[in-house]
Amino acid sequence: MNVIPCSIKTLKGLYDISGVEVGQHFYWQIGGLQIHAQVLITSWVVIAILLGSVIIAVRNPQTIPTDGQNFFEYVLEFIRDLSKTQIGEEYGPWVPFIGTMFLFIFVSNWSGALLPWKIIQLPHGELAAPTNDINTTVALALPTSAAYFYAGLTKKGLGYFGKYIQPTPILLPINILEDFTKPLSLSFRLFGNILADELVVVVLVSLVPSVVPIPVMLLGLFTSGIQALIFATLAAAYIGESMEGHH
Amino acid sequence: MASTVMASSSSSATSQFLSNGRRTCPPSPLPLIPKVVVAAAKSDFRRTATTTKTSLPRRLLDSLPQKAAAIAAVAAAVSPLPALAEQMEKAALFDFNLTLPAIAVEFLLLMVALDKLYFTPLGKFMDGRDSAIRAKLGDVKDTSEEVKQLEEQAAAVMRAARAEISAALNEMKKETSAELEQKLAEGRKRVEAELAEALQNLEKQKEDTIKALDSQIAALGDEIVKKVLPIA
Repeated sequence: MNVIPCSIKTLKGLYDISGVEVGQHFYWQIGGLQIHAQVLITSWVVIAILLGSVIIAVRNPQTIPTDGQNFFEYVLEFIRDLSKTQIGEEYGPWVPFIGTMFLFIFVSNWSGALLPWKIIQLPHGELAAPTNDINTTVALALPTSAAYFYAGLTKKGLGYFGKYIQPTPILLPINILEDFTKPLSLSFRLFGNILADELVVVVLVSLVPSVVPIPVMLLGLFTSGIQALIFATLAAAYIGESMEGHH
Repeated sequence: MASTVMASSSSSATSQFLSNGRRTCPPSPLPLIPKVVVAAAKSDFRRTATTTKTSLPRRLLDSLPQKAAAIAAVAAAVSPLPALAEQMEKAALFDFNLTLPAIAVEFLLLMVALDKLYFTPLGKFMDGRDSAIRAKLGDVKDTSEEVKQLEEQAAAVMRAARAEISAALNEMKKETSAELEQKLAEGRKRVEAELAEALQNLEKQKEDTIKALDSQIAALGDEIVKKVLPIA
């Protein structure tokens, strides 16, 4: 009969854990449409952080860069390098897109791990990384699709659609399918990683409140950065792929 | 799931819990917890069944009240669930709504803002600095060429000066040697002249002496003759 107490304990644990509010949203109504307010609020904070730090660091560039400027120059060089390796020599116009993608996702992910959102109580749901919501990740993946279509069409005109029957027309359905799987995989990869990361941390914290979750938190920071890099790299790779010639 | 297992342990107490359970857990959006309960109950059931092969029905009957108690305990544990269940009912991981276009618009605005504030100005600034540094490096290369030219010029000047000096030296040497020769020749001429004069004087004196000797010779002869020949 010692199974029952054990299972009750498990239940209690599950109940405690279910304090993690998965899929709980704080809704606002705008013109009869619902909107996830917690995502919007955190995204505003992320945008404010980005714009604020950029304005402070870059408003008066020095020939010999100071600390903040040096950091942002490093970031810009990193983004340029990334775009150049993925897109090729014509990477220039795509730097803002790839860079904003990377910075927004990166700061979003890290804000979920580093900013003490839980201090602010919402009537319903809780504040977390904006990328914790499927709406955000899809909202980032769809412009990526649009971007690579735009890149291909401006570079090659209607000849861009010739790639659908390359190397053989038999692959037409798979090539068309790819256009759907690309944004799908982009958005779900980011969403799943960030949600899982935050859940793991919260569950571990609820089980063992101190020390033990720290390695997982560090791992979370690492994966968050990697996810931002992956998203930006893949977006650049898709753009580069649609711009390069298919033979 | 829960209802089937509970029904199988057909007792009045369980049926009561069953109905209770139905009321408290609405069309389970939270199937996890009932599942765990069921699994626990099932495993317990099986263990009792396998260990008592001989009088299985009897043992089952004995254990029924215990089962009922266990399930009651579980139900008690689950009882705070209704509130949770109500919350979880709205759990929506994949509800797409106005958030999507809102975030997309925000992203595009952020892209424009960052481009205006960060990417374009700082990129231009960095490119400008790069080209300035490159130009300065080029300048440095040019000055090194200039230095080389100056060095060559200096070497040419030195060469010219050296040639001039050696020419002057040669000329001076020539002049001095000519002067010397002239003086030497003059000296020689004077010496020769003096020599000739001295020789002439000597000759003259010799002649004079000889002339004088001649006259004296005659007188002397006469005397000698007088002395030798006294009769004459």
